[in-house]
Amino acid sequence: MPNQQYCRIVGNENGRRVDSRILEERIQEAVADGHRYLEVEAFGQHGIGGRLWRAGDEPVFVRIYGAPGQRAGSMGFPNTHIEIMGSASDDVGWLNAGAEIVVHGNATNGVANAMAQGKIYVAGNIGSRGMTMTKHNPRFDPPELWVLGSVGDYFAEFMAGGIAVICGFGAQDPDNVLGYRPCVGMVGGRIFFRGPHKGFSEVDAKLVPIDDEDWEWLVKNLRGFLEKIGRREILRHLSRREEWQLLEARSPFERATKPRRSMDVFRREVWENELGAGGLIGDLIDFDRSPIPVITTGYLRRFVPVWENRKYVAPCEATCPTGIPVHERWRLIREGRIREAVEMALEYTPFPATVCGYLCPNLCMQACTRQMSNMVPVDVRQLGKASINAKMPEFPPLTGRRIAVIGGGPAGISVAWQLRRQGHEAVIFDMERTLGGKISSVIPKTRIPKDVVDAELERVRKALPHIHLQQRVKREHLEELKADYDFVVIAVGAKKPRILPVPGKERTIPALDFLQQSKQGQIGVGKRVVVIGAGNVGCDVATEAHRLGAEDITLIDIQEPASFGKEREEAEAIGAKFRWPVFTKSITEEGVELTTGEVLPADTIIVSIGDQPDLDFLPETVATKQGFVVVNEIYQTTDPQIFAIGDVVKLGLLTDAIGAGRRVAQAIGDILANKVPGGDKREMIDYSRVKVEYFDPRLTRFADIEECAEECLSCGACRDCGVCVTICPQGAISRQETGNGEFEMVVDEERCIGCGFCAGACPCGVWNLVENDPME
Amino acid sequence: MSSNGRITPSSLSIKDLPWQIHWDKERCSLCGRCTAVCPVHAIELGVHRLRLVQTTLGLKEAPSNVYGVYYGIRQKTDPAHACVGCGMCNLVCPNDCIIPYRSDEADKLRYHIDRGGQPRRRGGRRNVPANILDRIKFIRISMLTDPALDAGRHEFELRTLLGRVLPPEENLKLLREEGWIPPVREIYPLIIGSMSFGALSPTMWEGLQMGVAYLNEELGMPVRMCTGEGGCPPRLLRSRFLKYVILQIASGYFGWDEIIHALPEMKEDPCAIEIKYGQGAKPGDGGLLMWHKVNKLIASIRGVPPRVSLPSPPTHQTKYSIEESVAKMIQSMYMAWGFRVPVYPKISGTSTALAVLNNLTRNPYAAALAIDGEDGGTGAAYNVSMDHMGHPIASNIRDCYLNLVKLGRQNEIPLFAAGGVGKHGNLAANAASLIMLGASGVQIGKYLMQAAAGCLGSESDRCNICNIGLCPKGITSQDPRLYRRLDPEEVAERVVDVFLSFDTELRKIVAPLGRSTSLPIGMSDAIGIDDQAAAERLQIKYVV
Repeated sequence: MPNQQYCRIVGNENGRRVDSRILEERIQEAVADGHRYLEVEAFGQHGIGGRLWRAGDEPVFVRIYGAPGQRAGSMGFPNTHIEIMGSASDDVGWLNAGAEIVVHGNATNGVANAMAQGKIYVAGNIGSRGMTMTKHNPRFDPPELWVLGSVGDYFAEFMAGGIAVICGFGAQDPDNVLGYRPCVGMVGGRIFFRGPHKGFSEVDAKLVPIDDEDWEWLVKNLRGFLEKIGRREILRHLSRREEWQLLEARSPFERATKPRRSMDVFRREVWENELGAGGLIGDLIDFDRSPIPVITTGYLRRFVPVWENRKYVAPCEATCPTGIPVHERWRLIREGRIREAVEMALEYTPFPATVCGYLCPNLCMQACTRQMSNMVPVDVRQLGKASINAKMPEFPPLTGRRIAVIGGGPAGISVAWQLRRQGHEAVIFDMERTLGGKISSVIPKTRIPKDVVDAELERVRKALPHIHLQQRVKREHLEELKADYDFVVIAVGAKKPRILPVPGKERTIPALDFLQQSKQGQIGVGKRVVVIGAGNVGCDVATEAHRLGAEDITLIDIQEPASFGKEREEAEAIGAKFRWPVFTKSITEEGVELTTGEVLPADTIIVSIGDQPDLDFLPETVATKQGFVVVNEIYQTTDPQIFAIGDVVKLGLLTDAIGAGRRVAQAIGDILANKVPGGDKREMIDYSRVKVEYFDPRLTRFADIEECAEECLSCGACRDCGVCVTICPQGAISRQETGNGEFEMVVDEERCIGCGFCAGACPCGVWNLVENDPME
Repeated sequence: MSSNGRITPSSLSIKDLPWQIHWDKERCSLCGRCTAVCPVHAIELGVHRLRLVQTTLGLKEAPSNVYGVYYGIRQKTDPAHACVGCGMCNLVCPNDCIIPYRSDEADKLRYHIDRGGQPRRRGGRRNVPANILDRIKFIRISMLTDPALDAGRHEFELRTLLGRVLPPEENLKLLREEGWIPPVREIYPLIIGSMSFGALSPTMWEGLQMGVAYLNEELGMPVRMCTGEGGCPPRLLRSRFLKYVILQIASGYFGWDEIIHALPEMKEDPCAIEIKYGQGAKPGDGGLLMWHKVNKLIASIRGVPPRVSLPSPPTHQTKYSIEESVAKMIQSMYMAWGFRVPVYPKISGTSTALAVLNNLTRNPYAAALAIDGEDGGTGAAYNVSMDHMGHPIASNIRDCYLNLVKLGRQNEIPLFAAGGVGKHGNLAANAASLIMLGASGVQIGKYLMQAAAGCLGSESDRCNICNIGLCPKGITSQDPRLYRRLDPEEVAERVVDVFLSFDTELRKIVAPLGRSTSLPIGMSDAIGIDDQAAAERLQIKYVV
């Protein structure tokens, strides 16, 4: 049977404070002895009233007088009822596990700290950090803290459960019953409060309406609270529902959304409101600055494709001194227009068969893009040979302009041919008996069939009726020509052999004389022949000497011979020996004596160290330099009425001479038309733009002209293959007819993303990707 | 390369390049996005021959060749188009079939990027990933020895002072005598360092400013941003947001006439004036904004005609001594705002920093000293300046602070540290280290480009093409086609995120030290390093 008598335990003996440990022992002993009513006279002892489990399920009542120390009722059990008759120190009900604790005065800091069950009623105010770290274990009812007045700062920090009721009656701070910064880190539980507050952690807690059930609970329990603290009389005063508010912890989900103004709203309502529409630089620019995707179309593309058809010159055309667009001829063949392809040559040269087909080293083929990948170049010789059948073009009516051309070699014929094509009359003067210069007089018959040369010269004669052969133009004639003609073109070539300045030089034969005479069957050779000078002309000499019966042929040179191509090959084929570097000391009856003392035995010695123009007929007004005529970029001499082309300007290939003739004719045509002489300023296409990968690398020979045409890469000129239309990932490219059978590739800007796939895939290197027009 | 192709000394293979594009033929849909987006045209569509030699078993039939053609993404090897590793191709690829990889050995490109005799120039930072700041640890965890604070619960007022702080007795005396007391600003210790309008795109610059305004006005964080040398948009000069702005004047003086014209219309004083004498990334070197970047907008803000090159000489003209340079400039700048605005110089990290500091301590007008260390970033500099010149910030700021301590004037003249803060993403830790070494605050630039705008640059030499106006993220470009990729609003949001998370991290560092309202400036007993030499040099604890 519990003893209803209060067992009094005094915390002060003989004027000395009883140690907290001793007091605790005495309280526990009293409970163990069956006391259920304890009266403690406290002198600051720690933890009074907690842990009274020895009473089992029997309730224990503890009244505390005096000054309890910290943590009164800590670890309190559900059987325990503690009444602190005055005010309490810190941490009342710390880790309370079920005790009911009534504080009749105020309580200092840390009330209900970490309380998990039980109830704490405070009749006054509490200090800071009340109701922090409280828990609600679902096995038990939630803990409760009732405060009649107000709470101190940092209330309900990390509150994780339980119910706090702040009545705001007689509040220490009537303007803020919740104290400074409550609810930081609150994750659970609810707080009823009555009276003003100055904010709480809105990240963690929120105000919610008090529903009827809540209100019923509150009023009912409020009565109980007031009874405990003996203030029933204010129940009505506190029971005005509209004065109460309820705080609740936010759920983890609600917590994620921080109550911040969105940047979008800030920009519109604050930023642009202060700065003006368009923000920081809205007054400085007038174009759209809105965000765009990374991949853009239209004018927002950084790069745009351009169909640069024929913007650049194909390597064959660019390197051909005559400037024949070889690839265009192959295109015509691919299109089945063979005749046009053949005839097109005559627009560029009067000797397409002779030169392209036989005599030219074919620089076009050497420069062919296919060569850059070790592929066999398309064979222009086949096309050249076919040009023998080219139909004579129709010439325009004569303009009345007349140009005198001195020299009927390849240069002279070329310029005359081109001038006639423009409608101007060209009159050729040549001192030889035959037309054609070197082509007909010097080049060995082995190199080209006679009928080819004859046929092409015949074509020339038909086109140019005024050819005066065996007319040596002298200085005095030149003035007359200048007076009678609009312009004079000098194309007399280089026919004066250079002489070897050594003793016995009179025993030698100049190469050109030799070649000329051998061609006419007017010269023979001994068994042993030495050719001094092993260039291409020297090689021709060697070949001719062999034809004439020479058996031991040696070509000597002071340096590695510059000969190349057909001439060299043929000389080597007939067994000619090449020696260098050797230097001739003299020519003797035995042969050629070298500076080393060695004698190369020879029956015939031919000197082929080059030729010089014979310029004696030129007037003073035409400047020369080192034996050649000085010209500007349009082959005009220092006398503006006189032009000069071919070997008279610089020794070169037949095609160089023909090309110079064509360009001079253009320049003269321009001048006659009062235009600034121009010409084709286009650059050669970059090899890397052309894709050889589309072609068979193992092809080593071409069956016919058609196969050549198929294998031509068509550098820089669209071959209408449709690869671009197909490769474009956006389907932005289409082929559009422009009339006259012409077409162009067109890009739909609104589809194109500027990836450059068209440029990457184009076999001909026509497509290019260029920077879009700059935007400010 | 074609089989007849010549090699030149600068013919490089893909293997020779710093970045190699890996492309997966099986997954590629040839959509063209990668080649469209590549800033430097490092990749293109390639045409490839495919050869199949068909030989029958037992050689029963004559073997034959079958050729075909396929298309693929090919990397260029021309040094002018070498991949910069930005990875934009990877970003836009719908099939994840293309990605650049860093070469597994030192690249050969480095020997060939001096075309036309022009040594390499680039943007970014020193190409050295290591950073001593990352090695500093906070070793003083005051659980019981000091009232340790809870970073999440306690209130923190992490603020610093920008301005000359007088000793109390002097201050009181001046107060009594109604003398001039130097203006002092209470600001957030993380400052957005000087990045000019011009170096940055308009969208980036506006995003930063908008974020700063938001932090100030919505979140109460007094964050400040320095304009850099490129002037300041007229609207900003005439807005209340100017108080969040530190105006910079540098050797080019660009945009200053516009600032002067705006003086009568200013609603607010700027936070401060920074006089730039040097930059950590390119110490002792000037800048040149190339004419093609000077479009109408840049020109109008800088107060120059469009399409002219804008040189900023390495030094301020007409100032030939430290006294002249510092005293004269500081005086002039104070006068512009009636001595209400703090004025301070910024120098690049240098072994002569102490001489500058000593001069400033004798000058009552000097509001602070900002030092930009060798790891600072730049929009454009010579690689040699970036990689090999300058002084590390840690020892520089430490020397200066200890010198002030010797003079008994620590915290009277605040030191601001910059250069590689957050280089490895450890922004708060680096900042706290510098503060504990003696800085009153830190300035950041590159970090913010990375964090707020997705800058791809790295110290492994990734991207780093800020100097050529082709920034694939639109951060440093003046081309609307690029900078419109960047939404200022989103940049502003990121700026806010960066500062909020920095704030939390800084609290996590300083709370255990028991600091919540004053920064632990110079609190070097709280830091240690696992390197004895560094510990001795910095006069901090050596911990292993």
